Amino acid sequence: MFVYLLKRILSIIPILLGVSFLVFLMVYLIPGDPARIILGQAATEKAILELRAELGLDQPFFVQYGIWLLSVLQGDLGTSIAMRIPVADFLLPKLLNTLILTAGALVICLVGGVLIGLLAALKKYTFFDRFIMFIAQFGANTPVFWLAIVIMWFFSIKLGWLPSSGMYNMRTGPSFSGLLQHLILPAFATATVSLAVIARLTRSSIIEVLNMDYIKTFRANGIPESKIISKHVFRNILSPLLNMSGLQIGYLLGGALFVEVVFSWPGIGSQLYTSINAQDIPMIQAGVLFIAISFVVLNLINDLIVTSLNPRLKS
Amino acid sequence: MKKALLFMLLLLALTLTTACSSEGVEGSGGGGILIIGIESEADVLDPHRAGGWVTFRINRQIHESLVTGDLSDPNQMYPPIKPGLAESWDISEDGLTYTFHLREGVKFHDGTDFNAEAVEFNVRRAWDPNFEYYDANSAGSLSLVYERIKDIRVEDEYTFVFEFEEPFSAFLSLLTQGGQGSTGILSPTALMEAGNDQYAENPVGTGPFMFAARERGQRIELVRNEDYWSEKPHIDGVIFRPIPDASARVLALESGEVDIIAVPTPDSVERLVDSGFKLEQSAPPHSWYLNFNFDHPAMSDLRVRQAIIMAIDREGMANDLLRGTATPSTSAQTPANSAFDPDFVDYEYNPERAKELLEEAGYGDGFEVKFQTSIDGSGQLIPVPMAEWIQADLAKVGINVILDTYEWITYLGFWTTMDPDVGFNQMSWGMSTPYFISIIGSENGIGNAGNYYSAEFEELVHKAITELDPDVADEYWKQANQILAEDAAFAPIVNDTAPYIMADYVEGFIAPNEEWYDLIDVTIN
Repeated sequence: MFVYLLKRILSIIPILLGVSFLVFLMVYLIPGDPARIILGQAATEKAILELRAELGLDQPFFVQYGIWLLSVLQGDLGTSIAMRIPVADFLLPKLLNTLILTAGALVICLVGGVLIGLLAALKKYTFFDRFIMFIAQFGANTPVFWLAIVIMWFFSIKLGWLPSSGMYNMRTGPSFSGLLQHLILPAFATATVSLAVIARLTRSSIIEVLNMDYIKTFRANGIPESKIISKHVFRNILSPLLNMSGLQIGYLLGGALFVEVVFSWPGIGSQLYTSINAQDIPMIQAGVLFIAISFVVLNLINDLIVTSLNPRLKS
Repeated sequence: MKKALLFMLLLLALTLTTACSSEGVEGSGGGGILIIGIESEADVLDPHRAGGWVTFRINRQIHESLVTGDLSDPNQMYPPIKPGLAESWDISEDGLTYTFHLREGVKFHDGTDFNAEAVEFNVRRAWDPNFEYYDANSAGSLSLVYERIKDIRVEDEYTFVFEFEEPFSAFLSLLTQGGQGSTGILSPTALMEAGNDQYAENPVGTGPFMFAARERGQRIELVRNEDYWSEKPHIDGVIFRPIPDASARVLALESGEVDIIAVPTPDSVERLVDSGFKLEQSAPPHSWYLNFNFDHPAMSDLRVRQAIIMAIDREGMANDLLRGTATPSTSAQTPANSAFDPDFVDYEYNPERAKELLEEAGYGDGFEVKFQTSIDGSGQLIPVPMAEWIQADLAKVGINVILDTYEWITYLGFWTTMDPDVGFNQMSWGMSTPYFISIIGSENGIGNAGNYYSAEFEELVHKAITELDPDVADEYWKQANQILAEDAAFAPIVNDTAPYIMADYVEGFIAPNEEWYDLIDVTIN
């Protein structure tokens, strides 16, 4: 297990290096000039050149990238060009907010997906099953931006149940219940596509297991259906479900980044949106790096759980 | 497994039960907290460094300048200059020396005394490269205001003097501006402690509101300055909440999470007003206009430029596309400044005459032209639909417009240098000082994107800048604006009316003819 873990961790390094290089290159190649952005429309050429020199933007690409990489290896993610504050101190709380949103979405897509899938499997081939699967299919193909606005309008304005944006009630200050309230809509919007995927997978897996001989034997022996489902069926579908969840984490993280902008959720996605608009290279780099690290770490954890449940997968 | 499922269900149930209550307005004991939904995250809260109107609307509440615009009367065509941290000022007869007599007994929020040395510290920071706290970024942002200064000096504790090489009539009005860095005075103590880069994390001025907290992407919170030297605000504090998505901003207002929003979607205004929200609009110094490229073969012909202006139905765009959130613009000079003439019309809408002019210019069979604009951006309204409107109007007179759109930041990087194949591009800005047209029209003007040059215009601008009598200077500016219209140097399209929509319990919010506002008179009932 230890050797496997070490191998996996070592394989992360070239991925992160590649990601950082590509992002640096992409931001570098975008036309436009951060110094001009900072100084605005009426800045003189002299002022822009002076600021470029101060920010190190007049250096060649590889020098800029090299300086950045050396700093990162020493644990220094640099200073934001636009805000002039240390990137790491600023982005870590944002990462936490993104992970809260992703975790909320994961809970919704797992609980909701499994429940919907189970209900559909138990009522298989009925109108209810077809209807619920149609809804799931529809959800899976809905643009997240549009869905976000629609559920915001419905639950915040029409029903007045939930707040429409932000992370807590600004009039009363932060609280755990306030956080949960603010989390529901963005987490649901983030979870929609994955929820549909998990629901379909659960349904098909349960139907498959229910048709197996040993289940028929249990039934013939008079074991109650509820016990069969909870004890035997779920154990069997756990492995594919966990595998799929691992794959979905990437989608959820990606979805969260978009949803954050619509719901003004103060995570890395919102920040990246602002930083990309300001061509704030250190901030973009650190943001992407954090997301990449979260992605590989979450996947690693998922793989470890799956392999511990099924040691054959290690090879 | 069963337990885990139970736990998850319990968590979901808990979440849903706690969720069944909406955020209403909390009645507060004092003047209450006003929450404003703003259109984008603010820049740094450093008045000298920060550009952009969004940020200045916040910085202005914390920092004050020597003189300021009086924003208390929405019916003033432009905000008149009134004393700020300077009680009065004298301008020497030759127009080269400005002496400011400073207000006594004013303290910064950190208790530091405001005096002439504090003013000197602030000016040197953005003007004197040999100063210990000189900041290239501030100097760049404020070059427009400070670059003509010859010298500065502290006369005594409450008297401060600026010297100029030649008269600079726009100086006073530029001191009140804030779109491009502002001359807001910050506490030297705070800056020395925090340093140039960190000052913005805890800004300290003399203004009616003090900085309390900032969570980027969430809120910027200010509280009332109880020791403010002038009339204190009624509200206890204000929270600026960035909500970049316009639809989400409207929803946040409707659900009571914010009290006021800036820049609603044009199609939501009527509905919101019908459902009881209040609308405040004004005529700020904002112009959405086209820069003709004088290096483009067709555009170098005056008749073609005139034809293009005549072919665009500006009124239709303002009323139908922008739903009254903007008014047709017929002058390069923006509204809300002393030289603006609201009755000035460069060219009437006349597509038939436009066709004739094109015929005369040898373009009777039409021609193809590239038009560059951005897809979004500060003050840009809805640039793509507006560009498409222009494209459709010009198609009617035989001009085939190829749209070339860019993301705002990218666009900002090159809009002042058009390639020869670009016929015209677009920009939106303005100032409540007539000096604005020299920025976009002078040979050396940083906003002169189309390489326009007119000796007559240059001469009038020079006269206006160096004229000591403001009324005479305005006359020169008006004549200069007339030249821009005769030369069809620009195609003014619309002026934004900067709509703010607010809940019916918000009283006293004044939308002045300026790009920013004060919050002194606001009450929450």
